[in-house]
Parts: sequence; structure tokens; C-alpha cells
Amino acid sequence: MSIATPEKTALKLGFVPLLDCAPLVIAREKGFFEAEGLNVVLSRESNWANIRDKVSFGLLDGAQMLSPMPLAATLGLGSQTTPMVTALALSMNGNAVTLSAELYRALSPQLRDRPNPAEVGNALKQWIGTLRTKPVFATVYPYSCQHYQLRYWLTASGINPDDDVTLIAVPPTQMISTMRDHMIDGYCAGEPWNSLAQQCGEGRVALTGYQIWPDSIEKVFGVTQRWADAHPHTHAALIRALVNACEWLSFSDNHPEALELLKLPPYLDQSAIPLGHTDTVLPIMQSFFGPGVNCPSLSHAHLMLEQMERWGQWSGGDRDQIARQVYRHDIYSNALGLDRLSQHA
Amino acid sequence: MKDSRSLDVLIIDDEPTRAEALFDALNALGHKVVCHLSDSRRLCDQVSELSPDMVIIDMDSPNRDTLESMAAMSRSNPRPIVFFAEKADDRESISAAISAGVSAYVADGLQTDRVKAIMDTAIAQFDAYHSLRTELEKTKSQLSERKVVEKAKGMLMKHQGCDEEQAYKTLRKLAMDRSQKLVEVAQSVIDILELTTLPNAGKR
Repeated sequence: MSIATPEKTALKLGFVPLLDCAPLVIAREKGFFEAEGLNVVLSRESNWANIRDKVSFGLLDGAQMLSPMPLAATLGLGSQTTPMVTALALSMNGNAVTLSAELYRALSPQLRDRPNPAEVGNALKQWIGTLRTKPVFATVYPYSCQHYQLRYWLTASGINPDDDVTLIAVPPTQMISTMRDHMIDGYCAGEPWNSLAQQCGEGRVALTGYQIWPDSIEKVFGVTQRWADAHPHTHAALIRALVNACEWLSFSDNHPEALELLKLPPYLDQSAIPLGHTDTVLPIMQSFFGPGVNCPSLSHAHLMLEQMERWGQWSGGDRDQIARQVYRHDIYSNALGLDRLSQHA
Repeated sequence: MKDSRSLDVLIIDDEPTRAEALFDALNALGHKVVCHLSDSRRLCDQVSELSPDMVIIDMDSPNRDTLESMAAMSRSNPRPIVFFAEKADDRESISAAISAGVSAYVADGLQTDRVKAIMDTAIAQFDAYHSLRTELEKTKSQLSERKVVEKAKGMLMKHQGCDEEQAYKTLRKLAMDRSQKLVEVAQSVIDILELTTLPNAGKR
């Protein structure tokens, strides 16, 4: 285990107010950063593009990122090319497809009590056949599991995501109100925005990301390649602190306290408040810790690169080389003093 | 036929004073400018209809991701919009833009010198507004509102271990996400932080 003095101890890390920013919040509020000798300021960011740009240009040392983001930045998709790495997965699963209450009612005669994604897809396809206009679905960001999962599910249901529906983008904080105003019929987003829509009666969680791709890495901790090279000990200390926070989050006894801490501004604030009494029927299965959760697996990087290619975002190239360059399980293992793990490929 | 030097520019900014100043400045440069405030829900339609050569947007607007999505799903958008950085190839001016809190998207194939001139104007306007805002805050007549915001800032600075600028930005981002006034957000921040047993939070 490499426990050496961190090169830099005053750090600024970015997060987006979603439930899976919890590891960063807990690491700060429960003193896990402090225990590693790190003084961390967390910066709430309003959008993913800011996370990417501020990390790229050194305004943030690192950040919670959508798992495809370090790959997209390294490939220069949708932005200037900035080589990035991730050596830690922060969360697994956590997305869902929510349909408007109205649409769900329209489909419900064909749905069983707990329909699977294929049944929902089938009903949706038939419903689309009866319409003159295309239904509108929203996602938050183009390089995200949410976007890929929605496209993957629609395609598997025989619905062409480019021709049979209209795909638009809406900020997560505006998903529910946009649906209330009948401007979208459904969306794929991260928690808490699905549970909240169901609680306020505007929508129904129709299927989950877990049902589409079980145990898929959702958020990662990302830094630039240049930052990782210049701060190996700080990087390792951050990984240890965040893994400790992830482990703390895995104990259900800690959940009430975690929720209290997440309610603090500037974290989730009001959007976390109703979550105390959530009962989701479908398995969203968001997890922060456990075997295979935190190690940035190469197979996930491959899956993401495949999606980028499949949906025309990337013209293709040496997937394996890029996956190995960006998803650094070696740095993860070294930071935690684990023996060389069998490669998670 | 439009003048070859005149561009269609869309400004997306929730700060009316700043948007207006930038509008005037770009108009004076001979560009055709449209401002878009607050309501992001018509944004996709508006971008498709206007098909602007360039979009200038407050970095902290949640709508940045919406624009990036439109660019990525360009099959339905005749005009691909790409991040300014890719064409300008000028890290310094991008850094200046990020520090000023302004980002831009330009249509593919635009000449960089014209884009650069617009970008420099936007950066200057955003910087100027920043100084103006600081002044305004000091002289603001609604003293009670100012006190609430000041108190919330102070509590955030203490709890988050951040500086005044970041505390202010945090309040502003919360206000944008909730579509509330700054003072309302400040009051709720005070309420929540006062309820919290602060001595225990932040320590193990």
C-alpha cells in the first residue's frame, strides 16, 4: 500500500446534485477526506458540461462524472480532446425510465402488475402505431448510461430511437415539471428524479436501468491524465477516502443519517427531503459498495465505447487500448493495497 | 442576403441586465442577436427555428447539457453546434471564458476570427457584470434581503469551508435549479443549516 504524503492537500471537487453524489458528500461530512489529510471543498455544478470543462481546465481537481464522460473527453467527443482517467467507480445502477401518468394509464391494459421491460416496450410500440405524432422522450446528457439505456431499450422493443420517437434533452431538475406540462411523455434519468415523479403522481417508474443492464457502473470519480500523473499520492488518498465513504453508505443503519447529510445545502437540498419514505416497486438497485462495484472495470469501458460507436457518436478505433488508458484499475488496486486483481475484463 | 460578417447569435442568460448589455454590444458589432431568458422548455424548438450561428450561454445554466445533447443528436438538427474550444484552438481564451462563466457553441465551419471577436465581447461583458453586481450588492436598497443573503453566505462558507465567491455561486445555482429568488433560497439555506446540529456535522 502506498501511503505517502499527498502532493496537494487543498482540493476542489465537483458534483452534480443527484443521489449518487453521496460518496463525495459523506467523505466530506463524515471526515473521511480529513482522515487522509485532505481538505476538500465540494462545488455544486449545474450541468455535466461544466464538470468536464472545469476538470479539463484545472478549475476542479476532480469530479463525480457520468461513467462514459472520461472516455468521451479522451476521444474528444462533443468537446476538445482532454485525456482523462478514472480509477474509482462511485456507484452502480440508479437510473430508471419514467413514463407520464397519462401514458402509463394508456399502456396499462396491456401490462401485468410488475411488467418487464419487454412488455412495456411492446405496449409502447403498439401505442406508437396508433398515433399521428411521435411521443417525446427526454434524457439529460448525450454521453451517459441514461441516454444509452433508453436507446438500447427502445431498439430492443422494435422502436427506432431516431425515427419513431423524438428524443430531446431536459435538465434533471426540470424533468417532472416538463412532463406535467405535457411536453414530454417519458424520460430516462438518475435518482432521485424517478422516485420523486412517482411520489408526486406525475409519472410512473416503468422500468429501470438495472433491468436493462444489470450492475452497470453509473458514476465514476474522474480526473485528467495530467492531474493523475502529477498527484499520484493525492489521487490514492482520494480513492481511499471515497471507498471508505462508499462502505459507510453500504450499511443500512447509516441511511437515515446519510439522508440528513444529503439534505444540507448545497447538496441535494429540497429534492432529497421526500426520499425518506420512498418505496420503489421496481429494482433500481443503486449501490455504492460491494464486490465489483468500485473497481473501474474494463468490460464497462468496452460497453460504453460500443454504445458510442453504435449510436454514431464515435467513428471507432482501438477500443481495448482506450479502455485501458482511461479505466485504471491498477491505480485503484495500488491505492487500496490490493494484490493485483484478476483483470475485470 | 445577409452581410457576410453578420452572425445570428442566441444569448441564453438568466441575468437580464447582463443579457441586455451583451445584446447591445453584439448589435453594435453588426450581429443579429436574440435573447432567451429563463424558460428552458422551449429551448430545443427555439434553437431549431432560429438555427443560430452561435449560442452564448451562462456556464451555470442547466441548459448547457441540453445544447450539448442537441449537438450530439444532430441528425434532427441541420446545424451541428460544437464547443467553441475545438475550433479556436486557444486554451488561454477558453480559460478566460470559463473564469468569466461564459461558454459558447458555434456552427460547424465558422471562421474563428469572427467567433473570437464575439467571444471576447461576451467575456468582457460577463466580467463587467461581475464587478457591477458586486457594486450593486453593496448599495442595494433592500437591506433586509441583503442581510438574509449575507447570513446564508456566511453559514455556507463556514459549513462548506469555501470562500465568499463560491458561497454566492452556490446560492445562485440553487436559485436557478429551483426557479426561486435568491433571497428565498438564502432563507431556506439558513433554515436547514440552523436545524442541523452543526457541531456534529463535518466531524466524525
